[in-house]
Amino acid sequence: MVYWRIIRKSYRRNLQYRLSHVINNVASSIFGLVFIAIWTGVLSGKQVYGPYDVKTMGYYIAICQSVLWMTTFMSPGLNVQIAVRSGAVSLDMIKPVHYLWYMLSQEFGRLLYNACYRSVPIGLLLGLAVGFFFPSDPFTYFWFILSLLLGTYVGMLLFYLAGISSFWTTEIRWVHLILLSLIFGLGGQMIPIDLMPGMIGEVAPYLPFSAMIYYPVMTLLELAPPYGMLVQAGWALVLTAVALLVTNIARRKLEIQGG
Amino acid sequence: MFALYRKLIAASIRSQMQYKINFVTSAATTGMIMVLDFIILSAILYRFHDVVGWNIYEVGMLYGISSASVSLYRLFAPEINDFEKYIVQGELDQLLIRPVSPLLLLLTRNLDLSRVGGVVQGMSVLVVSLSGLAAEGKSIMGLVLFSPIAILSGGVIYFSIGLATAGVAFWTHQMKDMLTFTIYAPANASNYPIGLYPNWLKWLFFSAIPIAYMNYLPMLTLLGKGGAWFYPILTPVAAAIAFYFARMLWNVGIRHYHSTGS
Repeated sequence: MVYWRIIRKSYRRNLQYRLSHVINNVASSIFGLVFIAIWTGVLSGKQVYGPYDVKTMGYYIAICQSVLWMTTFMSPGLNVQIAVRSGAVSLDMIKPVHYLWYMLSQEFGRLLYNACYRSVPIGLLLGLAVGFFFPSDPFTYFWFILSLLLGTYVGMLLFYLAGISSFWTTEIRWVHLILLSLIFGLGGQMIPIDLMPGMIGEVAPYLPFSAMIYYPVMTLLELAPPYGMLVQAGWALVLTAVALLVTNIARRKLEIQGG
Repeated sequence: MFALYRKLIAASIRSQMQYKINFVTSAATTGMIMVLDFIILSAILYRFHDVVGWNIYEVGMLYGISSASVSLYRLFAPEINDFEKYIVQGELDQLLIRPVSPLLLLLTRNLDLSRVGGVVQGMSVLVVSLSGLAAEGKSIMGLVLFSPIAILSGGVIYFSIGLATAGVAFWTHQMKDMLTFTIYAPANASNYPIGLYPNWLKWLFFSAIPIAYMNYLPMLTLLGKGGAWFYPILTPVAAAIAFYFARMLWNVGIRHYHSTGS
């Protein structure tokens, strides 16, 4: 299938950068260690809220740092804006594959690479610090993979939408930064969102950002609420519809910048 | 040299002020994004009351200083932070043939004015924390007087770390991944008491990446957490020493520079 080929090609292209990424993995793990140390300081000697004792929080942060490389650390705007600027987008649009799936396949190949050379090493490194968590129910692995894929898909669509806004603005720097900080702020990266106080804590579990980080991590920890995957699947459907619609509008809007 | 700096930087600001609306929106967005960052920290402290005995206002002091300092660095030295492109694309050649020191040229080439938002955010957090501490009945006179010294010294410390990383990039030809290790992760770590971290990290933050001197060490004294009287004095001293060594490393590095030849 053509999309599988695009995915594989994009994966191979990224293999070139393995060595520089090894250094980066160590650096990224330091972030994880800092977060783990902060939580240890916060939680030690305190009454436990819900399931979050020091050990579980350590697992949470470690898995989270590893999951981020699949669901969150994507190319800004899935690089749509670069093609819009250079005008190459017109060539992509006339390809006999749908533009949305074409861009998503490209990114997914890169994310598969991330999974192998980023998520796994970082997970192992941080696992050395906090210990390894093995779910008791073997089916959990299956649900986790499913949840992770849904989270990745939702993430790719959000980044794609940010990227395609460049058809109207050509610049997506700020849109991208706002999206990123919403994901980090409300997705559960530093703090499990059910610990957030007040209104934020009540709304955040139903936003697409939690689908990207919080639910995959909680699924592996066997702590996810049963409706978690419904939230993920719901957003996946809604965002697919929006992305298809916007792609159609963008296609009609297509202008090439004279150069 | 200072007059020259002023002239070049004024030109740089003038050119950026041609896009006033862009400046206002980008600064406001940066500030807002960083407020969201602070919300996470307050959410944790709101729920759990304190981190190893530091309450929200005390952590706020650490956070405000670190946040304003790193923004100050990013505001004045975006080209140092982005130095990789000069080496990889050979852009440094253009600077080397001019009769002024390349470092001065780099510093005056560009200002990242959007970082003003970050400086404002950091100072706002400081003001909120100071008034909170005052409401708790603590004397804040010393803290108010010390804050500007801490922010300036912190800015110099971050700048020195950035400059040293750029100096190393003359050999490694890559800097972006290193910055995660030398600037971004430490900046994140310094928002919280350094005492939290494992020993090897603590050691690192007191030596090669000396961010502990910027906020944690002086606050031990000024917030009455058992620091010795001279700790606040170490803040500007550490900044000066860091700058001295970073400059040295940079000078050695630049002599080592080979153009890409493209």
